[in-house]
Amino acid sequence: MTDALVAVRDLAVTFRVDRGTARAVDGVSFEWRKGEVLGVVGESGCGKSTLARAMLDIVKPAAGQILLDGSAQNGKASHAEISRRLQMIFQDPYQTLNPRMRVRAIVAEPLKVQGISKSEHPDRVRRALEDVGLDPERFSERYPHQLSGGQRQRVAIAAALVLEPDGLVCDEPVSMLDVSVQAQILRVLTDLQKQRELALLFITHDLSLAWTLCDRICVMYLGRIVEQGTATDVIERPQHPYTQALVTAVPVARAGGGGRRELLTGELPDATAIPSGCRFHPRWPRRFEPCDRVDPPLLAAGAPDQLAACLLHDPEYSPGA
Amino acid sequence: MATPLLQVSDLHVSAGDKYIVDGVDLELQHGEALGLAGESGCGKTTTALALMKLLPGALSQTGTMTLNLKGSDEPINLERRTETGMRYVRWRHISLVFQGAMNALDPVQRAEVQFDEAIRLHSPKADSAEVNARTEELLSTVGLSKNVGRRYAHQLSGGQRQRVMIALALACNPSLVIADEPTTALDVVMQAQVLQLLERLRERLGLALILITHDLGVLAETCDRIAVMYAGRIVEIGPVDTVFANPQHPYTKRLLETMPSIGAKRGLADPIPGGPPDPGEPPPGCRFRPRCPYAQEICERDDPALREAGPAQAAACHFAPWDEWPEEGLSAAWKAGATG
Repeated sequence: MTDALVAVRDLAVTFRVDRGTARAVDGVSFEWRKGEVLGVVGESGCGKSTLARAMLDIVKPAAGQILLDGSAQNGKASHAEISRRLQMIFQDPYQTLNPRMRVRAIVAEPLKVQGISKSEHPDRVRRALEDVGLDPERFSERYPHQLSGGQRQRVAIAAALVLEPDGLVCDEPVSMLDVSVQAQILRVLTDLQKQRELALLFITHDLSLAWTLCDRICVMYLGRIVEQGTATDVIERPQHPYTQALVTAVPVARAGGGGRRELLTGELPDATAIPSGCRFHPRWPRRFEPCDRVDPPLLAAGAPDQLAACLLHDPEYSPGA
Repeated sequence: MATPLLQVSDLHVSAGDKYIVDGVDLELQHGEALGLAGESGCGKTTTALALMKLLPGALSQTGTMTLNLKGSDEPINLERRTETGMRYVRWRHISLVFQGAMNALDPVQRAEVQFDEAIRLHSPKADSAEVNARTEELLSTVGLSKNVGRRYAHQLSGGQRQRVMIALALACNPSLVIADEPTTALDVVMQAQVLQLLERLRERLGLALILITHDLGVLAETCDRIAVMYAGRIVEIGPVDTVFANPQHPYTKRLLETMPSIGAKRGLADPIPGGPPDPGEPPPGCRFRPRCPYAQEICERDDPALREAGPAQAAACHFAPWDEWPEEGLSAAWKAGATG
């Protein structure tokens, strides 16, 4: 498809650990479209951060392809292009900024790495800082320890955007920040997305946040995408039992709250020992024959653009069909 | 009305001449769940530590804190207790579940050793069979099997550690559990499990609960009443449903509006500009004034006290109760915005 900024095809990432091989990303295909706000949600350990790191060529995939604008990215030559076109910000703005560099040097670093002429640096750094709402006069000469958490995250965003990338991957960008500061940072990101047609990929375990911000959502479970669709469809009419369980677990900040509900039991299984058949079946009380044997692919479910990897949507097996 | 379990009056916590907690009054009924909400630095954790008299040496506290236990006519005046006297209160009557269970569990001891300590504090003469039975009972109360007791903290998942912490807090059958951000480090699924557990325990054991969190959604689901703190003060307090449906302090209102919430309107509301003041250095007049869209002249001059703003609801705002919130005429300071 032509409007895909990044297309991921059958991606797998594995890690060697003491217990064996962890299949952190285990066969994932999806598209991140130009200018789109895409959410990847799931519990910790589901592989969502590994997926993002593989897309940015930070970890090497064991199998599969990552296509940037339709061309496959392998080998060293493309790494520079990936970092020019795609950038990433992380959860902890306290750990990602070099404590010994001034703000202007931090923001100029990507320009230096990309070999952009030094004469351009001051102007571009100033513009990047203004774009994230930091006054260059006040902040250029500061060190990270002289900044608040929100200001640090703004500096991280400025450094990520100074190369004017097409896509920005945000790995839990606000989960360490206070509520009122969270809203400010999200506003900066969404304003930039609109002004520049910047594509955003939000990696988060916060479903309310994904629902509020994203055009589309992919739900990950144990290395796989188990459901995808528009944010409204996925959150309001989830078609996979796991998504349904996640949505029910979200506390609601409203009068009346959420009331009593059926919760998932147990914890996310170990990625070194992925259950047979559907990987979600041991945690689903209403599993049926043959959930423990057949591994369901993403199947059409619910709305036109919605897919869910559950045998409920396979007419051959579904007990309801 | 029945005698409340806990009465806190005019609680101040200071570091030198700076007041980190600046006049907090609270009442908590037996079996009630109160949520203490606010951003980091607003004094909510400091308030909790002051209730247990566990403040670090550099901080000092004043004010009265009275505990009225069931079946006892003698109120316990916590503020008069010495360190030794407080040891009798901690864990037995009030226990604390800390934020970040990883740091609160002893990394070089198996979980059961820590249960052993807590149980013997309550019943020093218990033999090991009794201690084992009680450990198993406590673990099963929080949905863990007894072999979890054999493990070290690093062998437990985040959710398991938090459950162990809760089980430890229950070891001496306290009347009040204070839980400080008990679910912040957890995923939604685990968070929902821990919250449901706290709610069930509260029903079964008749516990009172003070839940400290910045997550208003968590409060809405778990608590009967909510107290919103800002810069060392309670700025709004009332029944959860009332406060969420009809907030009476601009800070509460704006916080609720900026929280993404499934089922509410999609898209981002205008964020609250700026950040909270440094602890102990509030601006003159109303503490929220520099960030308040509705601030007027009086707000710069006078520091508003909590005033009645609805049934059982109070807000520290000159204009409370608000009949309606003005759409236009937002103050210039607010429009100019600020960077967090």
